[in-house]
Amino acid sequence: MDEGTLLTELRMAVSDTLTRADGVLALRADHGGAVPHLFKPGNDLSDLITEPRYPMAMILDTLGDAWPEARLGVAARGCDERALIELAKRNQVNLDQVEIIGFACSAEQATECRCAKPYPDSLVVGEAAEGVTEDPRLAELDVMSVEERFAFWSAQYEKCLKCYGCRNFCPVCYCPICALESELWVETGLLAPPFPSYHLVKAMHMVGRCIACRECENTCPADIPLTTVYAALHRDTAELFGYVAGRSVDERPPLLLSLSGTMED
Amino acid sequence: MSHDNDYEPRIVGFLCNWCSYAGADGAGTARIKYPPNMRVVRVMCSGRVSPELVLRTFREGADGVIVLGCHIGDCHYAEGNHRTARRMPMLRNLLGYAGIHPDRLRLDWASAAEGPILAQIVTEFTERVRQLGKLETK
Repeated sequence: MDEGTLLTELRMAVSDTLTRADGVLALRADHGGAVPHLFKPGNDLSDLITEPRYPMAMILDTLGDAWPEARLGVAARGCDERALIELAKRNQVNLDQVEIIGFACSAEQATECRCAKPYPDSLVVGEAAEGVTEDPRLAELDVMSVEERFAFWSAQYEKCLKCYGCRNFCPVCYCPICALESELWVETGLLAPPFPSYHLVKAMHMVGRCIACRECENTCPADIPLTTVYAALHRDTAELFGYVAGRSVDERPPLLLSLSGTMED
Repeated sequence: MSHDNDYEPRIVGFLCNWCSYAGADGAGTARIKYPPNMRVVRVMCSGRVSPELVLRTFREGADGVIVLGCHIGDCHYAEGNHRTARRMPMLRNLLGYAGIHPDRLRLDWASAAEGPILAQIVTEFTERVRQLGKLETK
């Protein structure tokens, strides 16, 4: 399916959803760029677009908080849907109030994002492309010795500007009090943040949560390959706990469970 | 890796109040010898030891970190150590991926009556960290 057809069909699907929803969150063309926008019933959909990729989950979370009784639609890619699932199981969004209008990414986009599942389960528009089964960066990390890994990551993390972009853009980071802003765990006034503080704290918080959307990596001005470690941990949670982040609302985050599988807050 | 004979690993142990700390106390009372490298921090539960705390301990200069709690089923808070049992192996993996040898972090269980076992665990761990040498994070 070419981009034009996908867009036409997506606009039709959004228009259909707007007959029963209060609004649909999607991208809108704006001054040559793109902004997330809440389309309301009766709005002109001709400036609704899909590119570039933009994380929608946190915006939907914010909308849902401000307007809990609203029925909302969202034009979502595979990664957006996975993020919404993670947020839903952590009580951040209420999926009962949300209609996911899923659309597929192209095979080229899947390769670019090293995406294992470039389409949502609620696929409404487009054809599901083949996912990337092996992350080439993870394969490189796997064959390194501990010393080589240390040298590699020291050099990478040394580039960090501590802009917090990786956290701000993460669709599954929502804590109002962030460990990365705590003087106790990440000392202020030092650049780059000394290894192993900032990045390993972030990585540990990504266990059972990272949905491999690569937004942190895309936004990183220092080009740190952040998701390689997250991908390794993702593989471990699958092997150890049979858990895959973003797969199902019913799967509960393994690090929050007791050994008997109960979860108490 | 250090081959300096004078090298003594700096080890920080987080011991839970109810089992392992009492176990260490018992080892002392029974005059069981184990290496003096471990600096003990008493915590109310091994579940209190967050990954952030372990990472900071490494950053502050520890060559090894050992977390000792009650056996599964014996936790004073019923399931506090269950979280430890899940989170520490993941943290070990993470350390490995980032280039810090995972053997620098050990999780084990020792009850209040297991002073000799605790002494053995700490002895083994100290020797392992001695082999790995000083942790350079700079």
